[in-house]
Amino acid sequence: MKRCIVIGKTNVGKTLFVLQFAAYLGADRLEITFEEPGGEKRTETLSVDQAIRQLSSQEPHQTRCLQSIRLELPVGKGVKRFDVVDTSGLIEGIHGDVKVRKAMAQTLAAVRDADLILHLVDAAKAGERGVLQAVGDVDYQVAQFAQMRDAYAILANKVDLPNADVGVEKIRQEFSGHVIIPISALHRRGFKEVKRFVWRWI
Amino acid sequence: MAEAVQPPRTADEVLDWLEQGRLSPAEAFAIFRSLDQDRRAPSHLRVAVRESPREQDPEEARRQRLQQALADLDALIGLESVKELVREVQAFVEIQQRRSKARLATEPMALHMIFKGNPGTGKTTVARIFGRMFEAMGVLPKGHLVECERADLVGEYIGHTAQKTREQIRQALGGILFIDEAYSLARGGEKDFGKEAIDTLVKAMEDKKDQLVLILAGYRREMELFLQTNPGLRSRFPIQIDFPDYKTAELIQIADLMLKQREYRLTEGARRRLHDMLEQRLRSGDPHLGNARMVRNIIERAIRRQAVRLVRRPQISRNDLMLITEADIEEVSVAR
Repeated sequence: MKRCIVIGKTNVGKTLFVLQFAAYLGADRLEITFEEPGGEKRTETLSVDQAIRQLSSQEPHQTRCLQSIRLELPVGKGVKRFDVVDTSGLIEGIHGDVKVRKAMAQTLAAVRDADLILHLVDAAKAGERGVLQAVGDVDYQVAQFAQMRDAYAILANKVDLPNADVGVEKIRQEFSGHVIIPISALHRRGFKEVKRFVWRWI
Repeated sequence: MAEAVQPPRTADEVLDWLEQGRLSPAEAFAIFRSLDQDRRAPSHLRVAVRESPREQDPEEARRQRLQQALADLDALIGLESVKELVREVQAFVEIQQRRSKARLATEPMALHMIFKGNPGTGKTTVARIFGRMFEAMGVLPKGHLVECERADLVGEYIGHTAQKTREQIRQALGGILFIDEAYSLARGGEKDFGKEAIDTLVKAMEDKKDQLVLILAGYRREMELFLQTNPGLRSRFPIQIDFPDYKTAELIQIADLMLKQREYRLTEGARRRLHDMLEQRLRSGDPHLGNARMVRNIIERAIRRQAVRLVRRPQISRNDLMLITEADIEEVSVAR
């Protein structure tokens, strides 16, 4: 089973993107597997709306474990199944809370094993406060790490917000050489391109 | 006990350190990347590096690869103006890299090129050397050469072309995409899919500019026309290299080298015969004639003729086995 992992700093909209993308691909009931850093797993079945209400929030570090959803994409006459994996937000520096650090280690382990990496960055913040505020060292390191793989795209999220166009441009300049797809997780914009990109690699 | 701190050497160690708060996620990714690079080296090298890290200094190895590439360039016969340009490009890249280290403003390094010249004038050979050179200088991650032509890029129906072109680009990522007879992409006018291939290539040049060098090659006159009809292209290919036809003396040198590598030799008569033949072909003005590829064909043919000539003889000396005589060359002159 191919694993498509969604990473990014805290509050860039990873969870909302994963859930909306699942809905976009036609899933109405989401079977979500939660995998704690310790290794425990549990599964919950939620509707898309329920999942968005329960799982995504404005507060950082809402997601503290890997949340994977099995999805299907039509390929030829059949379908291809793959897991899309939501992760804890990456942070700059070293966090004081060991739980966050454990979640971080879990995320990195998952990135290493991923078949496809979708890296979310906040385009609105980049437009408003400058790209250096919105993306940090960790984003550059992720991009450099992923450069050696083909299956890597940067999703410039929140293009529905003002100033995001400027942000997308800045992100394109900053990460030239990478695939960059502007999206709005909230309004499911740019999802067609994301789907096409995912389709190529699974 | 005081112990020198070693960075983590396995992925699991990196994750442990991350959990213990000894690394930030950014640092962890950086170490992952270097671990991955190690892993990419062939296994026998990797073990050697682990055991004695000093013996195979990667910087030193890179310098050696660069020197080797330049030495191979110098060993090419003729092509003086081309060699000069290659050296110019090499110097430019090196100085830009030094400037960037010294935190000075740098010129953007657009290294896409146009090679103009007749077939068999060394275009592919020089492209390969560029690939090795760029790899050794750290400009390109791999430096390999993917050769393709119109048929590899242009599809048969709408949408097919972009797909085919992107596939070639994908294969060339990290190295050089060499498009022979590139002007043929512009033939057939507005509705031709070649235009789509050009657009896809131009896009890739921008998007993947750190991972791909594009070389468009072809006959001088056709390439000129191609650039005139696609004015946007000229500025994207700052490096244009003219590959002159070889002079007769250079072609004979090439023949000598080819034969030497195969442990054959020309007799004086054969050499004269070859010279006359080449002169005559050069005068004919046909661009297919009078180049290195033709010389190779003549030589290969001569080697076969010599074999036929010798095989009927009852006694063959060592010298006979090596000598290509006038008669061997003569036979070739009628064949294309």
